[in-house]
Order: sequence, then structure tokens, then C-alpha cells
Amino acid sequence: MDSLKRDFNTVTLVMIPVAIAINIAVGQLALLIKVPLYLDSIGTILVGVLAGPWAGALTGFISNFIWTIAGWYTPAIAFAGVAAIIGALAGIFGRAGWPNVWWKAILAGLITGLIAAIISAPIATYVFGGVMGSGTDAIVAMARSVGLDSLGANIAQGTFSDPMDKMATYLVVFLVLRALPLRFLARFTNLKARS
Amino acid sequence: MIAVSGLRFRYAGSERPALDGLDLSIGAGEFVGVVGANGAGKSTLCYTLTGYIPHFYAGTLEGDVLVAGHEVRRTPVSELASDAGLVFHNPFNQISGARYTVLEEVAFGLENLGLDPDAMRQQAHAALLATGLADLAGRSPFTLSGGEQQRLAVAAVMAMQPRVLVLDEPTSQLDPAGTRAIFEVLRSLARTRQTTIVITEHKLGWLASFVDRLLVLHDGQLVADGAPRQVLSEAATQPWGVGATNYTRAALEARQRGLLPSAGDLLPVTLEQALETLR
Amino acid sequence: MSEPVRRPSAIEALHPLTKLALMLAAVVAGAALPTIPAVLGVFVLLLVPLAVAGGCLRPFLRTCLRVLTPFLISLLLIQGFFTPGPTVLLRLGPFRYTLEGLLVGLLFSARLLVGMGAATLLMLVTRPDALMRGLVERGLPNQIAYIVITALQIVPTFQARARSILDAQRSRGLETEGPLTVRLRAFAPLVGPLILSSLMQIEERAIALEARAFNRPGRRTSLVALHDTRAQGLLRWALLAAALALVAARLVLWRTA
Repeated sequence: MDSLKRDFNTVTLVMIPVAIAINIAVGQLALLIKVPLYLDSIGTILVGVLAGPWAGALTGFISNFIWTIAGWYTPAIAFAGVAAIIGALAGIFGRAGWPNVWWKAILAGLITGLIAAIISAPIATYVFGGVMGSGTDAIVAMARSVGLDSLGANIAQGTFSDPMDKMATYLVVFLVLRALPLRFLARFTNLKARS
Repeated sequence: MIAVSGLRFRYAGSERPALDGLDLSIGAGEFVGVVGANGAGKSTLCYTLTGYIPHFYAGTLEGDVLVAGHEVRRTPVSELASDAGLVFHNPFNQISGARYTVLEEVAFGLENLGLDPDAMRQQAHAALLATGLADLAGRSPFTLSGGEQQRLAVAAVMAMQPRVLVLDEPTSQLDPAGTRAIFEVLRSLARTRQTTIVITEHKLGWLASFVDRLLVLHDGQLVADGAPRQVLSEAATQPWGVGATNYTRAALEARQRGLLPSAGDLLPVTLEQALETLR
Repeated sequence: MSEPVRRPSAIEALHPLTKLALMLAAVVAGAALPTIPAVLGVFVLLLVPLAVAGGCLRPFLRTCLRVLTPFLISLLLIQGFFTPGPTVLLRLGPFRYTLEGLLVGLLFSARLLVGMGAATLLMLVTRPDALMRGLVERGLPNQIAYIVITALQIVPTFQARARSILDAQRSRGLETEGPLTVRLRAFAPLVGPLILSSLMQIEERAIALEARAFNRPGRRTSLVALHDTRAQGLLRWALLAAALALVAARLVLWRTA
């Protein structure tokens, strides 16, 4: 029924705050259990995969905005653009059906992580002076000590951390998609159907 | 106010129809209860009366459903919502999240309807008063207990002053005091505002005491429709999976043991009726 | 999440967009001004007095300190040791700590102090729903406001849910401490239920939103009106002009900063 798909972008709308809350809750869980990954964009990628690039981009963007305005991580807003791109990429991978195949999902994570690292590096360099005030700065220091400039060092640091994080995130998304009832998945048109 | 004829609905991907030939007519101000076993079609009926079937749940719909002058099949849900409100049983999922206080949450629907602020304030306050939430008006909806949140859901929909109010097991998470509060509000709405109320419940005793009319659904069909005592007496001896109140069961048991005449009068459903039977 | 301080203050009475404009202007000034004293001046002469007027000086300073300190440390170390420059202050093995590096580190720190301070102050003196209402009045789509406010409100519930899943699984014997592989394997039974149960609620939440006529076409009204004055309107325009002027100056006059 057409009205189903047309009227019920409400489902996508309602999913976005839930996805943002998933981002935050899981990200904090990762910190709590001391897992060395961020795992703070599971929700963003899920929305992108299911509802398309625009919805994914919006989720990522607002997610970072909220990390800042809620006072949990003030620098986040500077990376809102990166988060939006991650969400948009998820939409594209979803359309191609990659998150439904485990190794394609991991590959999607690798590509996303590399792109995220390359786009984050200039922001870290020119806004934050090349540091993020956390443990990853040690990697930056090491890179700089072998002669890389600030931008290069940040690219190196990002390439070390981001792909791992995004590959793990896409793996989680792959497993979640398999566990979701078909009736629920049928509401979303972006994800290419499992064959 | 509600006119259903030949209603058949089968969920997409399902073999058996959830509703299988329903004809029903409910007038303004009637307080109607719906009972039936799980899977009998109660929730499906609730969603159909408020337009979520067919606009939200995929499937094949046959027949005509007319609610508050709208043909449900042709009316988008956002238009139908102001005339036919829906309350369902999960309190948390009914908090919109878009507003910071109980008062604003209740007024949220009115803002969407474009009412002017004075009318909004008046209708919202009336709804809060009726559901006993006036003291909590400034609190965040997320700090309320489950029972309070459910009353908030009722208030939020009630404030929009719909002509029809459909409730799908609204008291399942409430204690007796909360349940009484809801039933009393609904009765008052039916009597003073002529709101048509349709409520599905398993709490037979409460229904028997409050509703004017009781419907029984069984396997998607309407198998009984009448005064509560009549319908529940019949249901006690039929394989509809409706269950019975303790008073009914006690009376049935008494009949079996010869303590009460085995046929004749209707079985008691409430305490008052049970006491009368004993006289 | 920070709530505005209870004592009524002049700042809180301002229209949320005025406060937003002040903070954005501060951020632009912090980014554009070329010297450390100038940037610190924005903090001391603009942000701090606003915090005092808003009755939240202590929480403001505390948060600024908490957020800035890790950056300050890393910046002073990394920029100090790795920025090339002629004036060496300290030698540590093959590494040289330069004055130029120290100054670069301090300048970045000052800019971050202003930027993050402005964001912090904004949220200390403004309720998020007032801010969203102000933006919606100026054309922000309702859906965006819905997403922001709802996300802010349901996060604590999700955090609590995550905590209770963690406790329940731990009491069933799930190991969450120890070597990395153990911790990683613990993640699935924690995250799975959280995500799946949250997604299953979405349908009912969509129905509830529709039941409030959220998607109804036509005019929406507001229960609460935001108080605005002509003076504030003029101030906002002035701040915009000042911000643009600073950006122009940065690009043209102060290129090397």
C-alpha cells in the first residue's frame, strides 16, 4: 500500500532519536567495560542502512550535536560533519546490500573507517591543534617523533583507530539485521533485500 | 458514531484472517468493552477503528469502516487522530519525548492541531484534572511511575477531545487504584461529553461494573454483543477463552454442587450480583 | 545533562536565540583573533561576566577546567616538542622543547577554551526546548526539533536500561573483566538485547506520535510564547555583523595567526 510507505516516514523519524540513544548508551558501555573501541555510531549506521543516506547523515550530525549540548563530550560538535558522512555512507552501502553479507559488512566498515580518519584529521589538526586530549594522542606523539607533521600524524592516528572501530560496528549491524523480524525490516525501503 | 460492515482483515504474510467478517454499530456516548482470548482480534479491531489498519499495518482489508464520519480507509491517520484517539498498553512508548513537562506533553497534540493558547491551556488542564495528574503538571514525564505515565497517555489523547476514544488494554500495568481512576474518567467522558469509548480488557470485573455494552471476539468474529452480565454469563460456558470472574466461577461451582438452581437466572458477574443471587 | 541554575537571572530571561548569537560570536572571535591575550580577553571579558550574570560561574569554570585540561596537557607537550622553532627551552634526549611550540600550544588552548566555554555556557543558561522552539519559530523543521529533544530525554532511560542489562548478565555469570577477548565476547549479550528491544519499540512510538496529530498538515501553535525585545533583535544583528567583520579581518589582516 503506497500510503504505508508515504505516511510512515514517521517510523524513520521516530527511529532517529532511538538510534542516537543507542549510540550514546553503547558508546558508554564500551568505556565502562574498557573495550578499546568507540562503538558510538552503531545507531547512525543502522539508520543509514535501513532508511537511506539522508536519514543516516541526519542521525550522525544530530548525534554529535547532542554529545556537545548535553555536556558529555564538548568537542563532538566539531566532528558532526564526519558523523554525517558516516551515516550517508551507511545508506549507500545499505542500498548495495553489503551489510547483509558478513565480509562485505566488514569491508564497508574498513572503507568507512578510512574515510572517517582522513576527514577527521584536518579537523583535529586545525581546530584542536592536532590532539584530542585522550590516549590516542600518544599515537600522534609517536608519529610526530618520526617526523610527520601535525596533519600527517593525525591521519596516521586515525588510520590506526577508526577502521577497527567501524569494522566492529558494521559487524554488530550485520548481526542485528539478521536478528530483526522481517515484518520490521519490510518497513524500510533502503536496504537491498537479502537473497 | 462507529459503523462497521463486512470487516475482514488479514495481516500481510499471514494465512488466517485476524478479523473475519465483523458487523458492528456503536452510537455516540456508548461505553463499550471488548473481550476475547489473545489472538482473537481485539488489538486488530482497535487499530482498525483508529486507522492504523490499513495505513500503518500492511495487509488486505475488506468491508467498510466508518468512524466519526470518516471512512477509515480513505482518511490519513493524522486527520483521523483528532476525532478518534488511541491509547495502548505500553506507557513508556506513548510519551512523545518532545516536551519537558507533563502539562506540555498533554498540550502537545493540541499544539499540532493549531488551537490557540487559551483553549489549549483550558483543555489540557481539564484533562490533567480528570486523570488526577494536576499535581504532576510541572514534572518531567520520564520521572513518572508506569501507572502515572499511562494516565498521562490517556490525558494526552483525551485533551484533544476526540469523539471516539479507543483503548487497547490500558490498565494492564496499573494497580487497582489506577485502574479505577481510568475507568471513572472514561465513564465520565461517555456520560458528560458523549465520547464513544471502546476498551479492550481482560479485567472482566471492572468491565462488568462500568461498561454499558460488551462485545466478545473469538477467532476474528463477533460472537456476543449485549449487556455485560448477559454476555459474560454466556461466555462462562462457551469455549471462547474469555474466562470468568471469581463470582461467576463460584456460582457455576455452586450450581454443580446443587447449592444453586442449575438453570434460569443469569450468572452473577460482580460482587453485588453474587450477593443478590444468594438471597 | 545540565539544567539552568535555579536562581532567576537576567541571562535566562533573554530570548534563546540572543544567547545563541552571543555564544556563536564568542566562538568566532576566539577563532579569528590573532593573539593569545586577545583570545583570552574574549573568555575573561565576555564569557565570564555572562556566566556571573547567569548565576552559574562555579559550574561554568569547573566544566571549562575539566574539559580543557586534557587538551592543554597534550597541546603543551606535543606542540612544544614537535613544533619547529629557534628558541629552545628544554632538551630531553633527541627532543627539543621550543618557545614557539609552547606559544602555539597556548594559542590553541586559548581558542579551545573560548569555543568549548561558549558551548558550555550556552547550555547552562538555556533550556534545550526553549532553544529549539526559538529555532523552529525561525524556520527549523519541526522534525529536527523533535529529534533533538526526544533524543536528549530518552538517553538517560537507555543508559539505565544498559546498566540493568549489564547487572543482569553479570549476575548470570557473564565475565566482563579480564583479558581483551573476554571483554569483547561479553559485548554481544549486552548490546544485542539493548539494540533489539529498542528497535522493537519504534512502531508503537510512531503510532503514538501519529495519535497526537504530529503529521497533520496545517498551522501549529505553541503553548508557551518566547519573550523577545527589539533591543535583543538589534543586538543579534550587531553580533552577526561583528562576527563577519572578524572573519574578514582574519582572512585579510591577520593571515599568519
